[in-house]
Amino acid sequence: MEWGIVYYKTPEGVVPAEDFLDGLATSVEAKFDAVLEAVRSAPPPQFSGGGYWEAMHGTMNGYYEVRIRAQQKLHRLFCLLDNADEDGLAERGFDGPQIAVLNGMTKAVGKRFSDAEYRRNVRDLGDRYMGTFPRPVAD
Amino acid sequence: MATTTKSNYHDRRVKRRLADPEYRAEYERALRQIQQIDALVNELDELRESAGLSKAAVARMIHKDPASVRRFFSAQINPELKTVAAIADALDAEVVVKPRGQRGKRRASSTKPARARRKKRAVAA
Repeated sequence: MEWGIVYYKTPEGVVPAEDFLDGLATSVEAKFDAVLEAVRSAPPPQFSGGGYWEAMHGTMNGYYEVRIRAQQKLHRLFCLLDNADEDGLAERGFDGPQIAVLNGMTKAVGKRFSDAEYRRNVRDLGDRYMGTFPRPVAD
Repeated sequence: MATTTKSNYHDRRVKRRLADPEYRAEYERALRQIQQIDALVNELDELRESAGLSKAAVARMIHKDPASVRRFFSAQINPELKTVAAIADALDAEVVVKPRGQRGKRRASSTKPARARRKKRAVAA
């Protein structure tokens, strides 16, 4: 079944991942979009994303990130894979599985995101996304 | 249907951005590179399966931790070229770089004389 790509939308109507992508250099933004397209056209469990797409671990288990390095900065775009049987997808407002793009963050090379940053900028969004039917996405 | 509309949000966004030549050039270049890497790793995985080898068996053959080979085949790590080469070798295969289109043809033909000269020098020595 063909996968889609959706962007999480906040209750205020903000689309954090799109704001993040819009704020990047054109070349970095284009690379993120190319990775998403590659993963959509050859979704997991097969290898896809050219090494830029990685499963996360620990407190971020269940999340995926697209990792792009450019000019001493590490850019990350955080996603969930949203899949279920036909009825489950319909309940979510979908007719196919989705890569749900939540938000992005940037850090300097050698720095780490704190767990509080992951909580505030990714997991809180992911929790709301997964707990909402139909899914809160930009349309 | 809902998915089509919602997925189209992304498609519409990318379509709009593709009007920018700088974006288009980088997008197409990145997509080509990613698809090459994906195809290569997936081809290695198909070779592994057709050889009836588990990922753990391949790991033993190349003296790697089984978990790292599992991660290699499931896109959980960025594949290193030396691991690609080692797995290809273990599966009795090799990684080949093939020139593409006119640029490749020009490059390929331009290397011939150089090779011939080197050969001549080697023979002369």
